[in-house]
Amino acid sequence: MIAGAVAAASPVTSPEARTRPSRRYLRPPGGLPEQDFLSRCINCGQCGEICPNRTIKYFGPENGWDSLDTPYIIPREKACILCMKCGDICPTGAIQPVKREARAILDGVKMGQARVNESLCLSFQGKSCGVCYRACPLPDIAITVGFMEQPHITDKCVGCGLCERSCIQMPQAIRIIPNDR
Amino acid sequence: MHMPSHRPFVLRRHLNKARWFTLSLVFALLVALPFVHLYQTYAAAHAYDLLSPSERQIYDVMEALTGPFTDDPAADLDAIKGNTWSATFWSLKVSDPLAPLGQMAAGLSVPSLSFNWPFVITALIPVILTIVFGRFFCGWICPATLIYELNSNLAAWLRWAGINVGNRHLDRRIKYAVLGAGLIGSMVTGSVLVAGIYPPAIIGREIYYAVALGGFGAGAVFFLATLLFDLLVARRGFCRTICPGGALYALLGRYRLLRIQRTVEDCNDCAKCNAVCEFGLDPLRDGFGQECNNCTACMAICPTDALTFNLRLADLAAQGPGHLGKRYRRQHEPIIDEAA
Repeated sequence: MIAGAVAAASPVTSPEARTRPSRRYLRPPGGLPEQDFLSRCINCGQCGEICPNRTIKYFGPENGWDSLDTPYIIPREKACILCMKCGDICPTGAIQPVKREARAILDGVKMGQARVNESLCLSFQGKSCGVCYRACPLPDIAITVGFMEQPHITDKCVGCGLCERSCIQMPQAIRIIPNDR
Repeated sequence: MHMPSHRPFVLRRHLNKARWFTLSLVFALLVALPFVHLYQTYAAAHAYDLLSPSERQIYDVMEALTGPFTDDPAADLDAIKGNTWSATFWSLKVSDPLAPLGQMAAGLSVPSLSFNWPFVITALIPVILTIVFGRFFCGWICPATLIYELNSNLAAWLRWAGINVGNRHLDRRIKYAVLGAGLIGSMVTGSVLVAGIYPPAIIGREIYYAVALGGFGAGAVFFLATLLFDLLVARRGFCRTICPGGALYALLGRYRLLRIQRTVEDCNDCAKCNAVCEFGLDPLRDGFGQECNNCTACMAICPTDALTFNLRLADLAAQGPGHLGKRYRRQHEPIIDEAA
């Protein structure tokens, strides 16, 4: 009965749905690649319960039944502060434990990659801003600024989303592109 | 039942109260932990002045409750997290045995993942306890049991008021099929689906959603459906016949060491034990089997204290009518008279 209901509702989980911009979400820092993450996560909710910022939220059936009750982050609403508590408490290894130091985070975390939309970014429009650079927990490593504080993202960006959260433009001129989905 | 006032104190008659206390304690903890987390996030934000009045109320109450134990709630109150599906006590992680089993099934569809030993070990303590005490989790810890038993009481009141409620008999073996189907479903989708149809996994996170994230999720709808199923179709029908985790616990507890058994010499055949058994077992005819969860409700109601705990790997074979009962006396008293 239940398996039938799941099968009937599962067209929502098509690969196209995953890459639709409206469904753009991040997994918590240290999260495994999507397929591995789904098979490891037991939906216990401890990552959200330890998150000091209540950044981690949980899917209902809207993202497909296979990701029901799995954790996600929408950086525009609340961004990850890279405290790394969720990886420590995760009992299953779906979120890998990563030490809270710059080197370990650079090696072990890849939630996504920031991308600047230059036609929206104030600094590229002649109004020096630099908010994203100041919000970044890894300044000059993940993000550098040039003339008029124009941001440039390096490939070291871990995708925490604090730049997107702090961007004063609406819609945001800097956004996180989720990793490998 | 008339009770002589000089009746000695028998501890096992009172275990059922201890069980209700344990169930209530676990449930209270599941309600308290999300509030602890809210308080932690408020404290970590250092912005008491920006909290709404209701948030301030939560902050004040939690500060009063935890103040004597901690100066730094954001760090210290991380000690206990989680729920009855998987929990962390300081650094000890404990999980329901169904969690690693479901994860193993889900992992079969992802060839890159190896066997997850660190997680399997978190289920070790529950597995050992279940091998010794049987399905005790279902009767003593499961947060759903508290609500299901209250639901059973509601059904009894409705029946007393003359309203018909469901009392259909369903095959207990259905739950083993549900366990298998849940594991196969997890394998096919590569995601731990059993967590979505298992009340002790649902309740903890749904309370967390409601308290901390602003509303119930899909699991609450499922749980409500199981409550209606129990009320309208079969008494305790979900636990008896559908629950996949109950099925796993029953299998693990099949050869449990601690068993309830009937002392035939003390039994008077009153059958109160059968009436009170939430799992629909047959203590009166020594029928416990792997389904018994050692809840001790039968011990508490037995007027002659004929039900006792015993350390055995198997139930006693049916012992016939109780020696204090009319049937046994009718059969045996003439012989006793002759001997006298």
